[in-house]
Amino acid sequence: MMTLIVPIAASNAEYEHKLPQPFRLDDEGTMFCVKAIAGLPLQDIDDIYFVILREHDERYMLSEQLSLQFRRKNLSRAHVTILKQPTNSQAETVARAIEENNITGMVLIKDADCYFTTDEILPQNGVAIYPLEDLPIVDPQHKSYVAVDDMFYVTNIIEKRVVSHFFSAGGYCFEDALEFCRYYERLKEYSPLYLSHIIYAMLLDKKIFRPILIEDYQDWGMMHLNS
Amino acid sequence: MKLDIQGHSGCEIVIVHEDNDLFIHKSTHDSGYVPRLVNQANKQIAASKIEYQNIRVPKVFEVEQNDTSATIKMEYIYSRNYVEHFEQAGFEQIKYLIGAIKYFIDLEINNSRMETVPSHILTDKMADVARKVEKNVHLKDDAEAQELVRRSSAVMDQVGNMVLPVGMCHGDLTFSNILFNGNNYYLIDFLDSFIESPLLDIVKIRQDTSYLWSTLMYNKPFDKVRLSIISEKIDVAIDEYFSGRYQWYRDYYMPLQLMNFLRILQYGHDDKVISYLKKVISSQLDFINNTKNI
Repeated sequence: MMTLIVPIAASNAEYEHKLPQPFRLDDEGTMFCVKAIAGLPLQDIDDIYFVILREHDERYMLSEQLSLQFRRKNLSRAHVTILKQPTNSQAETVARAIEENNITGMVLIKDADCYFTTDEILPQNGVAIYPLEDLPIVDPQHKSYVAVDDMFYVTNIIEKRVVSHFFSAGGYCFEDALEFCRYYERLKEYSPLYLSHIIYAMLLDKKIFRPILIEDYQDWGMMHLNS
Repeated sequence: MKLDIQGHSGCEIVIVHEDNDLFIHKSTHDSGYVPRLVNQANKQIAASKIEYQNIRVPKVFEVEQNDTSATIKMEYIYSRNYVEHFEQAGFEQIKYLIGAIKYFIDLEINNSRMETVPSHILTDKMADVARKVEKNVHLKDDAEAQELVRRSSAVMDQVGNMVLPVGMCHGDLTFSNILFNGNNYYLIDFLDSFIESPLLDIVKIRQDTSYLWSTLMYNKPFDKVRLSIISEKIDVAIDEYFSGRYQWYRDYYMPLQLMNFLRILQYGHDDKVISYLKKVISSQLDFINNTKNI
């Protein structure tokens, strides 16, 4: 059993008058946050949760729009989880989605501001990675980096420090949702808390993470650099 | 060629380029500090003769001294500080460091003898702290600091004679006195300790892992969350390891950690640091009192 969670609950003053980028439409009329999961092996995923903020939902009628997108893309097991309050971190958004939906088993967390393809998600802890040198334009400060040993085990993950030519491509697998929540509870007082911190704390406790070498990476957060 | 760098102890530290090698010249022109610096050099020389696996000690090549000054010439180590090391360290490097710390302190314990440290060593030191706090212009009118000293004195009065391993001790084993070179760890700035016990080294290393003391002094930007996660990991590993093995650790770690922070407080002059120290000392006193009541 695998559950896909797409956290889109970041609060930002800018979003009071501007639709958050993941909810905008591409040229084909697909929401970017929906397009963000299109390259995943969706046949292997049981349920999909898009986690949004109530304030954004009320302002932009997002749940209706997302439901239309799900129908159009034939995503019959996709749901919208609406959080009443903004969260302090992506990790908190995920933990609250797990709690509110009683999710157990393996979770795949996918950032809503990028796209990649991969054929298979194995039932284990993992981090999606992509080689830096394959990007035409790089904004190194907005990435986390993943060190991998010769046998393809993750040995390190760190925010904004180039310790490897692989960067984290915005996909994270945790083989046990409840274990993720336990680590979140342990670390929730820290700020700013990133998913990379949770993964690093798990690595220190000898939890094994494997890299998922993805393809066709597109970073929509970089679109401003292309324009 | 000479390059001046900043030291922590008030000594002048100069990097000297001679015959295609770099050396550190550490010197003092304070006649009162001369014997202390020479003692440090001797302690470092003695420590450098022991094999420690991943732990290294920079070689001392010369010690020059007269009545008014002293200079130590020692090996220059290409290294990174602990924050930069932790910023880039994979989980396995943290594991090596934990192993090295345990190994080093175990070796110190094995080179020490169990001795009775008379109760007056601690109570005299406490009286000295109380005098220095009383004279410190930043603390003498601070009612909270005075109350903490009073409560601490009561704790120290109750400790009594301590049976501890005595004989070998770095004296100031904080992260800021460890140079990181890959998986080799170079210990610098050896100091005399008021009790030459390995327990004092555990106290000092946990000053950083449990209380993040050296991080307070670090001015460059760094990932505080990551450093806290790593520090907690190391702290729990050290605490579990030694508390599982040694009664003296379980009995005396906390009073000696309290004394350690009191000895920092007595020289406090920065409001932010004093406030932090008072918070730590207060939490330590609460912990000691709560443990006693169980």
